[in-house]
Amino acid sequence: MKVKSGYIREYSVISAALGLLILLNLILGSVIIPPGEIFASLAGKSDLSFVNEILWDFRIPKAITALLAGVALSVCGLQMQTLFKNPLADPFILGISSGAGLGVALFVMGFSAFGISLTGSFALNLGVAASAWAGAFGVTLLILLVSSRLRDNTSLLIFGIMLGSVASALITLLQYFSSSSSLKAFVVWTMGSFSGLTSAQIWIMSLLIVPGLILSVYNIKELNILLQGEAYAKSLGVNLEHTRRRILVATTLLAGSVTAFCGPIGFIGIAVPHIARMFFKNADHKVLIPATALLGAAIMVFTDTVAQLPGQSGVIPINTVSALIGVPIILIIILKSKFI
Amino acid sequence: MERVLETKSLCLGYNKDIYGEISAFAQRGEIIAVVGPNGIGKSTLLKSLSGIQSFRSGEILIDGKQISSYSHSRLAEKISFVPSQSLRARNLSLFDMVATGCYNRTNWLGQVGPSERDFVISTLDRVGLSGFDKRDSSRLSDGEFQRATIARALVQESKIIFLDEPTAFLDIENKLTITKLLSEIAHEESRSVIFSTHDLQLAIRHCDRIWIMGRESFSHGSPAELIEKGAFDTMFKDSPLKFDRNLYTFV
Repeated sequence: MKVKSGYIREYSVISAALGLLILLNLILGSVIIPPGEIFASLAGKSDLSFVNEILWDFRIPKAITALLAGVALSVCGLQMQTLFKNPLADPFILGISSGAGLGVALFVMGFSAFGISLTGSFALNLGVAASAWAGAFGVTLLILLVSSRLRDNTSLLIFGIMLGSVASALITLLQYFSSSSSLKAFVVWTMGSFSGLTSAQIWIMSLLIVPGLILSVYNIKELNILLQGEAYAKSLGVNLEHTRRRILVATTLLAGSVTAFCGPIGFIGIAVPHIARMFFKNADHKVLIPATALLGAAIMVFTDTVAQLPGQSGVIPINTVSALIGVPIILIIILKSKFI
Repeated sequence: MERVLETKSLCLGYNKDIYGEISAFAQRGEIIAVVGPNGIGKSTLLKSLSGIQSFRSGEILIDGKQISSYSHSRLAEKISFVPSQSLRARNLSLFDMVATGCYNRTNWLGQVGPSERDFVISTLDRVGLSGFDKRDSSRLSDGEFQRATIARALVQESKIIFLDEPTAFLDIENKLTITKLLSEIAHEESRSVIFSTHDLQLAIRHCDRIWIMGRESFSHGSPAELIEKGAFDTMFKDSPLKFDRNLYTFV
């Protein structure tokens, strides 16, 4: 078995597929916009004001959000799987989504408990995003504080899972005592959504995700060493604590930001790195990071397109679609390969 | 002879003393075997000496300086460590695996330059893996993979190489090949190779000196000296096993 080195063909095939999927995503929805109209509108030559409005106010922001989320979650999942040498690790394994959920639950249900009703969806959305981000960041901060006292990454993993369980328990407690309307607001958040983000929100999300991606690229060298075990990494002079911290910060920026703006989106972060490994058959993160980013974007945009399929009758929650797409992929991988 | 490594009353352990006291040394260009019963602390000794694990008390001197005075990367220039069971990363090419040994000399992405590339290839030749560079390292046989981990340590260009039971899972032919390779590396490249093993016969035939972690006490010396002193009999104290001076093994 030889390991290939050049991947220009693979990258271009996935990029082309991504382009087509984005186009399909813009075409489909409650109204079908023909590709000709889309290109005209993109070039600024369309006279149809409703097409311009649907495209620029709804579909393009949604496509960009889906793309960003797909890239961020997949690149994050890859790093978690390498750090913990665990094929089942995902971006939320350290309790980031539970932390974000706790933030949102406190925000949504806390306000209603004081008899304040939140009106105005912009303030609500931004408040939800900020509290989710604060929750995710809080969890990471706690993990960073104890990480220097933990001997290895397995202890770190256990600590993260415990922290997530505590957050989930607190969420359940809040849910139990909350009103039905705020409970529904929270449940809708947990289903995930790419729509309704204003351009300002998309900018904030990108400004958090892009540094996370840059940091991930900067992690490549150490990730490749971690593949070969912590004892070896230590003997090479890799500062494990420092590396762990960098990966954690990247994770918060990536997964924390996506969760803040789109809700906890499952399965993509765990499935895409495996798909990338299956396609590229190379463990080198110099190959895998761009591969997971491209594949993650393509699959997330596809997921969002499927979620739009009911057309007039509404949108399927993203998390149900990502599970329906993600689970078969994971099963195929498990059945086809003897070990992951 | 230059002492590249020296320990003074070294006590091993994390929360409590596991083994002590060890006062020994290694000279440049010699191959040393560490022998002793299971669970006595051979791995702990090697990990402590290579700075992966902390120790209780005493001193470890690398090139005459305290091990704690070295930074992570400076220590990696002096010492490399081959764990007893290295993780196999699926679909990692042998070249990429061995090239990680250049960690402290590669750019921020971990890419190797042309001279390092040649060095990795020639090191693969050196350990008998010519033409294997594009192979999937996780699918190598145990003997080939062990040679790959040795190549990875050689590429690190350290003066001292520690190996934790490098021959443990190998057949007799591979045990011999690896031990001979290690002794060549020590003698021809004047590096110090220190490895733990249970193969006394091979250790006595191919090593310059042996460190014995006996149940009662620590002793070290050339194989001939140790046999003369009857030091091997201290290894398994109060046991029916006796060292046979002609067969170089316990009977």
